[in-house]
Amino acid sequence: MAPRHPATDECMPALELLDITKQYAPGAARAVDAVSLAVQKGEILSLLGPSGCGKTSTLRLIAGFERPDAGVIRLNGQTVTGPGHWVPPERRGIGMVFQDYALFPHLTVRQNVGFGLQGRAAARIQDTVAHLLELLGLRGLAERYPHELSGGERQRVALARALAPEPVLILLDEPFSSLDADRRAAVREQVRATLRSLGATALFVTHDQEEALFLGDRLAILHQGRLQQIDTPEAIFHSPATRFVAEFLGHTDFLPGEVTADGILTEIGLIPQRVALPIGAPVELAMRADDVTLEPARGGARALVLARHFKGAQNVYRVRLPSGRLLHSLQPHTLNLRSGTPVRVWAAAGHPLACFHDGQRVPAAEL
Amino acid sequence: MANLIVASLVGLQSRWRERQIGKRRLSRPLLLAALAVAALVATPLAYLLLRAATAPAETWARLLQTRLLGLLTNTLALMAAVTLGTVVLGVALAWLVERTDLPGRPVWRWLLAVPLAMPAFIGAVVHVALLRPRGGIVPRFLAETLGVDWQGPSPFGFWGAAFMLTLFMYPYVYLLSAAAFRNLHASLEEAARSLGRNAWQTLWTVTLPVLRPGLAAGALLVALDVLAEYGTVALLRYETFSAAIFLQLSGRYDRSAAAILSGGLVVIALAVLAIELWLQGRARAEQVGGHWRPAPPQPLRAWRWPAFALVAAVSLATVFVPVTVLAAWTVQGLRDGPTLAELDRAAGRGLGHYLFNSLWSAGLAAGLAVALSVPVAYLAVRYPRWTSRGLSHLCQVGYALPGVVVALSLILLTNTALPALRGLPLVVVLAYVVRHMPQAVRSSQAALAQLAPSLEEAGRSLGRDSLNVLLTVTVPLIFPGLLAGAALVFLTSLKELPATLLLRPAGFDTLAVRVWLAANDGLYPQAAPAALLLTLCAAVPLAFLLRRGRI
Repeated sequence: MAPRHPATDECMPALELLDITKQYAPGAARAVDAVSLAVQKGEILSLLGPSGCGKTSTLRLIAGFERPDAGVIRLNGQTVTGPGHWVPPERRGIGMVFQDYALFPHLTVRQNVGFGLQGRAAARIQDTVAHLLELLGLRGLAERYPHELSGGERQRVALARALAPEPVLILLDEPFSSLDADRRAAVREQVRATLRSLGATALFVTHDQEEALFLGDRLAILHQGRLQQIDTPEAIFHSPATRFVAEFLGHTDFLPGEVTADGILTEIGLIPQRVALPIGAPVELAMRADDVTLEPARGGARALVLARHFKGAQNVYRVRLPSGRLLHSLQPHTLNLRSGTPVRVWAAAGHPLACFHDGQRVPAAEL
Repeated sequence: MANLIVASLVGLQSRWRERQIGKRRLSRPLLLAALAVAALVATPLAYLLLRAATAPAETWARLLQTRLLGLLTNTLALMAAVTLGTVVLGVALAWLVERTDLPGRPVWRWLLAVPLAMPAFIGAVVHVALLRPRGGIVPRFLAETLGVDWQGPSPFGFWGAAFMLTLFMYPYVYLLSAAAFRNLHASLEEAARSLGRNAWQTLWTVTLPVLRPGLAAGALLVALDVLAEYGTVALLRYETFSAAIFLQLSGRYDRSAAAILSGGLVVIALAVLAIELWLQGRARAEQVGGHWRPAPPQPLRAWRWPAFALVAAVSLATVFVPVTVLAAWTVQGLRDGPTLAELDRAAGRGLGHYLFNSLWSAGLAAGLAVALSVPVAYLAVRYPRWTSRGLSHLCQVGYALPGVVVALSLILLTNTALPALRGLPLVVVLAYVVRHMPQAVRSSQAALAQLAPSLEEAGRSLGRDSLNVLLTVTVPLIFPGLLAGAALVFLTSLKELPATLLLRPAGFDTLAVRVWLAANDGLYPQAAPAALLLTLCAAVPLAFLLRRGRI
């Protein structure tokens, strides 16, 4: 490792992962595969991916509940995991909100929240606990036991407990997955407000896109143990780095095509877009509903409307191309077509479409 | 044990159901049946307490002056020592087997539960034969072959009894805490670590407190079992309430004195039960939420082999040494002419006869206890209110009734009220039923609590009456749970010694009685085959229970 330059300490990340790799059994797939990322102070990073993608493993490696096979983890510039370094979980100063909350069933809410404050002055413990209970709206519940609380209340106690020792970093493992859908939005709102008001640095694991977009300043997308992309939600949405990211974020159809001298030739015509690939190379284009347009065909139509989903101001049409491939098209509510109507379909994006070769994003070529 | 675990696990569920069911009108036939069962179980105790209260004043005075204080301190001291010993040993073994990388864990998991198949007094017989200061096998061997004069610690008295009982009663604590360790959410300990506690602090501030209900249940069983124990303490010449009552009954035939002593014993037992309820308190350690994930085993590193040695030593002392010694005596008995002749002579009333008596009396008791427990359990689970719960608690009073007390109350009762029963083996069965009814009631309740009431309601809606539904829907569905209860009653009845000794009609010898009588006369080669056979018979229901509890 190169020695750290003093000037960089100003913007030193709160958490840094370098090539973290974890394999649970010899011969098994890598649960976490050379993941590198950094979380800045005061930032909330959402770690998003389908179940089994390695996001919870990553969290447990950071917390120190698992040891990686390779790689380095730094907290505020100090190596906590790495060759020759190992800081046990209790000395890392990381707070964690568990998926099942892991509230101590034998302790009251007050005792749970104060659990991480042992060794401090009694008056300070009392103040900190009272402050957090107030902040999270738990004041009246201080003497209750966990089994006497509702799901949302448990969630807030778990957060208060993790925040009490003022951790360097707070990890949240699918914190809303145990809540009913109707409680989730309110609890989520409160969690975000609390983390923001305390300026906490947080890493938040979820498989729910909407949650990740709501809570995270930036998104990191994980698939099969590999980090696919880490960026702001907007950048990821507009410019997915891999086919997986585009697919996972959803509402995207993939249209195969072939690179030609003038652009990419697809089933719905030539798309005048140059890519840095040799002529004849197979590619896939990511097409969202707003990139596709259609009109009723006058004879010789090759595509059919399968269904119309009325979305108020707009209609989303599902169209079957002659090859059997499906595309979606966003149209104004004034265009009303029945299922079975033959249509002509073409691309009208107004921006270059994301193009993938072998699942990887292909950069656009100079014209 | 297994069903106790189940009962504690389904506690939450059954409470939830109470709200769902709401108040239903009590079914009258069911209530009458449950009342009859409760009366059967509670009458002997009530009668006994009545006799104690109406005992002659001079008997009271004599006992108060001479015996009561000494017996009380003796009994309480032994109870405290054994409870503490079993908790320490049981929790340590459960932790080693469930949560560490101890070598051979799958094997130990079973072996450590095996002592439950052997009555403690058989262990004590072997223990005394091996270590007796004069003439014990080990001192004699040392003196004869090595010329070493080693007397060792005396196997008798307080320490001997505490040691033996700890060795044979730790499985209660072991099984309950092993189950608790297995069910513990790994995230609880991880949460403690992330909040700044190291592994050792986590064990004391989180793991053990969360395990407390399981530990308390195990410790309670041990404490009550120590109160009830007769064979071991008598053999090791340590006088407790049970032993003193037995002596009053069998030797001096002073039933008033025995009734007073029994009253004292029951009061202690009820106090233990009350302490347990108080301990459970408000902080029932119910873990909330799902997402259970097994905790990774704790590496023992340098302690791996010392821990292995500890576990091996416990198994050696509780399983291998007794079984080996019993087997050696059996072989010796078969090769020795006179002993063989003795065995032969008794053949008419020999091993097969004892085995048959043991099996049918314990089997009948198991069947009766479970059948009688069903109405009580059904009422408590499906019609929850104070009357039905009270009946269920009343039926569990047997936990607080040591064998000698049950025997005494049945002797008193048959002498005055039911002379027709006197001298019938049925009285022995009745004693088993009264004493072991709690196990049956708890198993049946646990099984019923897991059964959705909607199944029964579906049966009713299809035009069957409640009795019909009970017999065609409920009982078949909870049958595995009932079987587990029966196995438990069978196992404990098989091992029951003092009640059998006191109540049996002449000639009604069970295996346990045979072992006891022969061993008391020092006829080890004659006692050994019966002891082995008894252990073997008890191992069958034990294996069934362990498999069911996924031990």
